[in-house]
Amino acid sequence: MNPKIKDLIITTFLSILFGMILSGLLLLFLDKNPITAFGKLFSFLFRDGYTFADIFVKATPLIFTALAFAFTFKASLFNIGAQGQFYMGAVAALSVSHLLGGIIPGPVALIIIFLSSLLAGGVWGALVGFVKAKFNANDFLVSMMSVYIALAFMNYLLRTVLIESKHEYPQSDPILKDVFLPIFVNGTRLHTGFLMAVVIAVLCWIFLYKTTYGYRIRVVGMNPIAAKFAGIEAGRIYILAFLISGGLAGLAGFTEVNGVQHMLVQDFNTTIGAEGIGIAILANANPIGIIFGAILFGALKVGGSILGQTSGIPSSIIELMEGFVMLFVILSYYVRRKLELRREILKLKSEAEV
Amino acid sequence: MKEPFIELRNISKYFARVIANKDVSFTINKGEVLALLGENGAGKSTIMKALYGLYHADEGEFIIDNEPCIINSPKDAMRMGIGMIQQHFSLIPAHTVLENIVLGNEKGILDRKKLAEKVYSLSQKYNFNIDPNSYIKDLPVGVQQKVEILKALYQDVKLLIMDEPTAVLTPQEAITLMDFVKDFVKRGHSVVFISHKLQEVMHIADRIIVMRNGIVLGDILKKDTNEKDLSKLMVGKDIPVLKKTTTQFSETILKVENLTVAGKQGHLALKNVSFTIGKGEILGIAGVSGNGQQELGETLSGLYLTKEGEIYLENQPINSLSVKERIDAGIGYVHADRHTAGLVLDMSLSENLLLKTSFHKEWSNKSFIKRKKLNKHAEKIVQNYSVKTSGIDEQMKGLSGGNQQKVVLGREVEIGTKLIIFDQPTRGLDLGAIEYVHRTILEERNKGKCILLISTELSEIFALSDRIGVLYDGKLLRIMDKEDANTESIGLLMAGINNIEANSDNINTKDKLPGRENTNNES
Repeated sequence: MNPKIKDLIITTFLSILFGMILSGLLLLFLDKNPITAFGKLFSFLFRDGYTFADIFVKATPLIFTALAFAFTFKASLFNIGAQGQFYMGAVAALSVSHLLGGIIPGPVALIIIFLSSLLAGGVWGALVGFVKAKFNANDFLVSMMSVYIALAFMNYLLRTVLIESKHEYPQSDPILKDVFLPIFVNGTRLHTGFLMAVVIAVLCWIFLYKTTYGYRIRVVGMNPIAAKFAGIEAGRIYILAFLISGGLAGLAGFTEVNGVQHMLVQDFNTTIGAEGIGIAILANANPIGIIFGAILFGALKVGGSILGQTSGIPSSIIELMEGFVMLFVILSYYVRRKLELRREILKLKSEAEV
Repeated sequence: MKEPFIELRNISKYFARVIANKDVSFTINKGEVLALLGENGAGKSTIMKALYGLYHADEGEFIIDNEPCIINSPKDAMRMGIGMIQQHFSLIPAHTVLENIVLGNEKGILDRKKLAEKVYSLSQKYNFNIDPNSYIKDLPVGVQQKVEILKALYQDVKLLIMDEPTAVLTPQEAITLMDFVKDFVKRGHSVVFISHKLQEVMHIADRIIVMRNGIVLGDILKKDTNEKDLSKLMVGKDIPVLKKTTTQFSETILKVENLTVAGKQGHLALKNVSFTIGKGEILGIAGVSGNGQQELGETLSGLYLTKEGEIYLENQPINSLSVKERIDAGIGYVHADRHTAGLVLDMSLSENLLLKTSFHKEWSNKSFIKRKKLNKHAEKIVQNYSVKTSGIDEQMKGLSGGNQQKVVLGREVEIGTKLIIFDQPTRGLDLGAIEYVHRTILEERNKGKCILLISTELSEIFALSDRIGVLYDGKLLRIMDKEDANTESIGLLMAGINNIEANSDNINTKDKLPGRENTNNES
């Protein structure tokens, strides 16, 4: 096997392991035995089909938000506003579901809802790319702050036009059944949104590596000066990358509203944007790697919440674990570079001796 | 027998992918000029940077007075009396000479008057005549170098290492520098002179160390050798002599009229530049770097907006065309800085060939890259240009400088069907690669393309050009036929001295020189 890929797999595995060990040690402060806790965590996951399938349900929006981060990352841009684009997509999905649900056939409505959440997230994201291209605004800061605007916007709508018929809580009415994303494993919550996420991750990979647009995005990301000399306008690339990135995050809103929640509540799913960034970094921004990273995080989420419910261990231990895993993954970049350097020097030395 | 100042014993230094130095041992004696001769990438700079504490040697030791000494930083080196003048100066343009010299060396309140006197007398001692209170940005490059030297002298260095010191100088400035070097060693100090130019090594050195591929191949006294032997030792093989046929150039392809361009800092980088290049002609542009060469190339390729003037390609004005449109119009551009402007180092060889033509229908089908066609093209380039690589999927950063440049050439020659701009096409390359680049340039000329060759290497300008012009401070001083030009006349023009037109404006050395330096690619 290519030693670089071997390094990648081993160091990623070790990062996850170390993350678990370190967060497990913290359980000792709570007088809990980490080994039994982790044993429970894993046995819960395979307890029944419903729980196991829920891993993939939880992974679905994470794939989208991770793709969103990875996509701009390839162009050396930072979209850390996937959370906000997700809200915009969710608002669009819910509004269009209410508008079209029961009026036109479900499958047709779903396609329109899909497109509207893609567009809503995309436009909200493209705005960041636009101010970056036009005014050289800092994409990191602008995308970060755009989350709060989107959140406030969604919460405002939930207290006004989208509020439930009883006008009691800041949440919407549920959507009609015929605009639910179809379940594809009976007896579970696993909906077709997961398959959609996997297909879109593959499409992202194809777009980045097989098309001229993706090529130009990568050129601008890796060497903006060379791009300029090649007549590639970085500004357009910024807008394009953020448009696609925002659209991907918007789709997370679609799968959450139409696939899982079937309604919109105030402040929901507040962490998937940040977790998406973590997964994208874990996967080295590779779309295919993101699928696996998201499944891992999905498993931790499901296992963590059951752990909290059943054994009195706070489920925040899972967040700690995610945090530690991320730290170790980031450190592993350094370790891999050192390993490669050492390998090359050894190779040189052995060549010199021959 | 001269007394040794420092001894290098079995020094090795490894970088990723290259052995920079392997078991390098030699001594540097007091009172001598030691030349380190070798091609780009031979490991000359690396070994000296290790001695100066900028790099940490992986193996080996330095011996002073029979005691091994530890050099971990330039500070350690300076304490032992070792100073180094880098190829690229580390001066602060907005500060005065005095401020630059005392920077980091004095504590507490500065007694400017006393310090100025000290610096002035030091400068007088070596006939430098530098006013300590003048600003760096107002000084020509040659004087800036003297300030760098003064900075080292201020620290009482006993060994001065100079890395390719003449690269930025006019021939006349180089002579002044040589005089200083001789004066300096006469006082019992030592100089290490890093160079790849045989003539100047033979002129200045007492002893010559020849390096190739990171190892020492010869440690020879100057009186025991000659240029021919050294050249053979340095290159390891005979370089075929470039054959240049004369062609008749007929129609004008490129016409530049009264071109004025504002540079990045807002100053005028090009002032009223006019010239033409005919079909099958090479126009060489000589000049010390930073006098508008880069802006000239970048303006022609569409990166800068022209302030005044017009550019015609085959009688069509192209001023309003974008970079992309000029690529389509048939302008190839080999940029001086291939690492940042010419290549995407993290991409593969084949992907780099697509860099400027990704918009072309030829390479994509409904915006899907025609991978097979691209790969075939890449294989062809690798073969035609004999690029040494493990394959077309190898990342560009894994290739040596010469092979990287071949890829750039392969791409730009294809794009530049009418005009190819070569800006410093052989910078940082070894002699074999240089010869290859030169042959390619001549071949393209013989195909009837028009070629603009911008170079600071006079030998290159003379070897290839049909006509020669000199850029100084953004002005194009005289264009002459190659037969009428010689090193001396061009050298004077490079210093801004234009006797024939007697334009007093050009002699004014206080005239602000653009201080921007191009990045160094030797690594």
